Amino acid sequence: MIRFENVEVSFGEKIAIPDLTLEIEQGEFFTLLGPSGCGKTTALRTLAGFIEPSQGEIYIDGKVATRLPSEKRSVGMVFQNYALFPSMSVWENIAFGLRVRKTRRAETALLVDEIAAQVELTEEQLAKNVSELSGGQQQRVAIARALVLKPRILLLDEPLSNLDAKLRVQLREQLKNLQRELGITTVYVTHDQEEALTMSDRIAVFNHGVVEQVGTPEEIYNRSGTEFVCTFVGAMNKLSGDVVHQLRQRGGTGLAPAKTSYLRLEKVSLQAPPGNTDAIRLDGVVAGRSYHGSHSTYTIDSHGSSIRALVPEGGGSALEPGSAAQLYIDPSSILQY
Amino acid sequence: MHKRTLTAATLATVLLSTVALTSCSSTAGEASSSGESSGTLIVYTNSNSDGRGEWVTAKAAEAGMKIEIVGLGGADLANRIVAEKNNPVGDVVFGLNNMFFETLKAEDAVAAYTPEWSGDVDKKAGDAKDGAFWPLVEQAIVTVYDTNTVKSADAPKQVSDLWDDAEYDGRYEVNTSLGQATPQLVLAGLLAPYADEEGDLGISDAGWKQVQDYYEHGSPAVEGTDLYARLTRDEVDYGVLPSSGITSRDAEYATKTGVISPEDGVPYVTEQIAVINGTPRQEQAEKFIDWFGGAEVQGEFAAEFASYPVNEKARAEALPEVVELIESLPKQDIDWSLTRERISEWVEKTELEYLP
Amino acid sequence: MRTSSWASMFRSPFVVIITLVTLWFVATFLVFPNANLLIRTFFPEGQFSFRAVEKLVSSERAMNSLWHSFALAATLAVTVNVVGIFIVLVTDYFKIRGARMLWLGYATTLIYGGIVLAAGYNFIYGRYGFVTNAVRNWFPEIDPNWFSGYFAVVVVMTLATTTNHMLFLGSSLAKIDYQTIEAARNMGASTMGILWRIVLPALRPMIFAVTVLTFLTGLGALTAPLVLGGTDFQTIAPMILTFSKSTGSRDLAALLAVILGLATIVLLAMMNRVEKSGVYFSVAKVATPLQKQRIPNPVANAAVHVAAYALFVVYATPVLLIVLFSFVHSSAIVTGSISWDSFTLDNYATVFGTPAVLRPFVVSVVYSALASVIVVGGMLFVSRLLQKHRNPLTATLEYLLHIPWILPTILIALALVMTFDRPNPMVGGQVLTGTTSLLLIAYVIVKIPFTLRLLKAAFASVPESLEDAARILGAGSMFTLRTVLVPLVLPTAAAITALNFNSLLDDYDAAVFLYHPLYQPLGVAIKASTEGENNLDSMSITFVYTVLLMVIMGFTMYLVYGRGGSSTKRHTRRARTVAAK
Repeated sequence: MIRFENVEVSFGEKIAIPDLTLEIEQGEFFTLLGPSGCGKTTALRTLAGFIEPSQGEIYIDGKVATRLPSEKRSVGMVFQNYALFPSMSVWENIAFGLRVRKTRRAETALLVDEIAAQVELTEEQLAKNVSELSGGQQQRVAIARALVLKPRILLLDEPLSNLDAKLRVQLREQLKNLQRELGITTVYVTHDQEEALTMSDRIAVFNHGVVEQVGTPEEIYNRSGTEFVCTFVGAMNKLSGDVVHQLRQRGGTGLAPAKTSYLRLEKVSLQAPPGNTDAIRLDGVVAGRSYHGSHSTYTIDSHGSSIRALVPEGGGSALEPGSAAQLYIDPSSILQY
Repeated sequence: MHKRTLTAATLATVLLSTVALTSCSSTAGEASSSGESSGTLIVYTNSNSDGRGEWVTAKAAEAGMKIEIVGLGGADLANRIVAEKNNPVGDVVFGLNNMFFETLKAEDAVAAYTPEWSGDVDKKAGDAKDGAFWPLVEQAIVTVYDTNTVKSADAPKQVSDLWDDAEYDGRYEVNTSLGQATPQLVLAGLLAPYADEEGDLGISDAGWKQVQDYYEHGSPAVEGTDLYARLTRDEVDYGVLPSSGITSRDAEYATKTGVISPEDGVPYVTEQIAVINGTPRQEQAEKFIDWFGGAEVQGEFAAEFASYPVNEKARAEALPEVVELIESLPKQDIDWSLTRERISEWVEKTELEYLP
Repeated sequence: MRTSSWASMFRSPFVVIITLVTLWFVATFLVFPNANLLIRTFFPEGQFSFRAVEKLVSSERAMNSLWHSFALAATLAVTVNVVGIFIVLVTDYFKIRGARMLWLGYATTLIYGGIVLAAGYNFIYGRYGFVTNAVRNWFPEIDPNWFSGYFAVVVVMTLATTTNHMLFLGSSLAKIDYQTIEAARNMGASTMGILWRIVLPALRPMIFAVTVLTFLTGLGALTAPLVLGGTDFQTIAPMILTFSKSTGSRDLAALLAVILGLATIVLLAMMNRVEKSGVYFSVAKVATPLQKQRIPNPVANAAVHVAAYALFVVYATPVLLIVLFSFVHSSAIVTGSISWDSFTLDNYATVFGTPAVLRPFVVSVVYSALASVIVVGGMLFVSRLLQKHRNPLTATLEYLLHIPWILPTILIALALVMTFDRPNPMVGGQVLTGTTSLLLIAYVIVKIPFTLRLLKAAFASVPESLEDAARILGAGSMFTLRTVLVPLVLPTAAAITALNFNSLLDDYDAAVFLYHPLYQPLGVAIKASTEGENNLDSMSITFVYTVLLMVIMGFTMYLVYGRGGSSTKRHTRRARTVAAK
């Protein structure tokens, strides 16, 4: 559906994306994930046609689209600040693209109503000025405006970043549902790894303009291809050489001694995991605990490392700081780079 | 949004209606754009204020001539005529003094024509050599004071006493707007006795000393405040103005004007008239000059506006007090061709070096 | 950043057309005539003459006046900002009782200026002014000339030139996201701290823009120094005026003007640089409208109130006096002896008794309206072009468009007359001298720099993503400009139109050389009716005309501000949201 082929983007002397090759499938929810300044938004804007690559080609539907003006690419876009036109009403905002295409009045009204219903905007809201809407409502207007032209591709540039946490979670789901319903190929830019993991079919992790890894959320999380991906996505324990040494001595012979080793918080158990005979026990002392309601995070000092462990609440009494603790670690869940 | 549309609509309405208004008036005056040989005669003058413009227009209409007065200050008018000389807009110019007319002549902006009344005027008052312009009205540039506050006996006998005698220090007004006609004439009058081919700009050092002292000891004119207002509130005692302004000021400020009459005389200026070179309405322009400069019209004009006509036949109609004043003041001998040639350099030097 | 390449600029036919039209206009009306005039002045015999430089350098008076002009401009750049920001804050930012009335008082400078304004202040504080007289009754030892020289000029010009602050800074203030202020307060910032660290930095681009305008006004100061400067503080503008009217000395005028102009350009370049180094527009998605701030410290609050009202009185008195004086005999005014008998309707009778008195009004209204609309309309496209496509061509164009700020209007007018007095191929072989169009062209020209600067600032405050959004929805540059961008800059554009209109209405400098004999504009008519040797009521008649002009200008400002304008609209919108809650 979409293919970046050896795309290079530069701003004057500065090269933002050195060499990007990427393929996005039809109907996929594809996320570009990375810290700010990593080139993900640049890649999206290049796809939208706002930036012309200095090298390489972009294909949409198998056809070269590198120099195609953005309005001919059949893409809809939701901007980070929504970019709603302040001088127009909600209705006029949504109808803008239709107006550009000189769609007949009756048809416009029909299409606007249809899309408004899909994003759950009421008749009353349609008549308002955009500045009178809340952030969440504005976001829905922005989506409706992007979708009303029935584009083949939807581009979303951090559309949830300025909303409050609860609304964000709620809208995440709505957005995903809407995408699934429409079956539209979607490219989503975010720096929020949780957002990326929950919504995406596939994720490309960006760092300094380079794609570090492309994969499903599970692949990205559990089999992070690079050290950057593994530290950027989800919380990690970095294990000291001493810990690795101890593990190797107790049966973890597959571990390389000289590499940097990481371990996810939830892969650390404080009780012997039933049925897993590969788990190796280490001794330590509880240094601290933070309570999250459904679970707690313990910090345990062991062999020169502060190892954090994510423990579900409800099973037994809590460990007090200063008391002894046992850690159970499966060496196969350790990622080494 | 709605409000904005409303404002835009109002603005548009205002605009459209005004445009409509002018397009109406433009059809009314259409016949007169330049380049046509018939239609309204465009008369340039700096002498249109105090109702003179309307008076001339009305009188011309009675005589069967359709004219349009374009009134501008002297220096501006002269500049405009010179700037337009390749494609003149005006047809006739009158009212500018001989100095300005010398400039117009040098720039080929006026054309020679001998009016019917040429025999009734002193040729020397105009352009005796080539007859490019012809004299209408004479004025003296005089130094005045209010006899209510200054006794005639206390007034200086010579104008130069004002700056030579410490008694008058800061008590006389000097006009520093050297772009205007009167201050230029004052300057010309100051420098005239000191013509010296060896000197700077044709003037001896003693002459420049006069100019320096004149401005140094005077009180600069105040923009927007009339000389007579300053006289009556005792800000200054003396000041310069053209003689035609005296009568009305005495009436307005209840002053009784005294005039300093130096032995060497005072500068006189003569307002002139000429055809603008290149006008398509040459014939009409000449007809206007014959009419306006003639004894009858000049006489009526003199009676109406207290002027002193050059036309000897018209002088009988002039107001007696005007005639008396003018005839009591000797004419200073000023070399006008030298003045014309040098005045802009003199103004420049004065402006750069001597003004306060 | 994005579309800087030449290729993108020439891809859109629309942009190409605008570029070509701008190039043609700049070449035909800005570069060619003025270059023509300047070459004729500086190269009288085909080679450069150092005469002008030598003359000026050796003249103590010229050097002094030049220095005074610069000193005045520099001083004003500070004082006008202080007073201007203060009045914007008390009318739009702080909670001050009667802010609406204060606004009207401060806004009086919108509707009058020049000689009338200077004279108005002189009547109050000058040597024969009534404040001076009253004070001297108590303290006879006070110098009656206290209000003159540098001090007086600075005071009067400071008060007179806060107009741009009121209009443009006021509307920038309205755009500040209130949440940033709330956030700062939350973190314990004081009222002054918020003002200093949050509000003023957000206003910086507009403060820069109006500072350039102020500096320029200071450099070109003409009437205030003439009336109030006395012999100690004369500026260069009167000298430029005198010299530009004399063929022989025009090189001096041009040289002086170029010196002033270069100073302006240097300042402009500096401001451009500083402006580029920051992002100023609000990045918030939901900007909360600004709410007026209470000053918590009661002493400070009282002090600000007192200062605001004192300033109000200072602003309003000259206007009231002018209206009053328009009904008083001239001699009574100048001799300072006004009694009940002095009041008369004669001045108005004189003005309205003049045949066809209305005609100059109509002519000037039409010229000014056409010129202001044309220049704002044209600059909407041009400023957009300059802002969007940055390359050597547009940069050059931008500087060339500032030529009218460098040269005095008189020289521009003369250059036009002399250039277009023969068939010119650049304008299709037409002769423009002597036609009605030349004055219109001159009016458009002289208003270009002001319009361009402010429109550029307005466009810069529009977030780029709006344009991207329109583009991706398929809108062409023209459509985007019309439907998305212009509505956003419309309040600024309307304000500029009104200001241009008001300032052209009584123009004299351009009109005097360019007006068609049958269409006499107002400035020339006023001058004619006040300049006669026997016309002693000139001051009163000027006042009558001023009052009439105030009515027209006031009406214009009402159209722009009283109805759809920023301040009232903000109030009503706020009221509406409150009501909705």
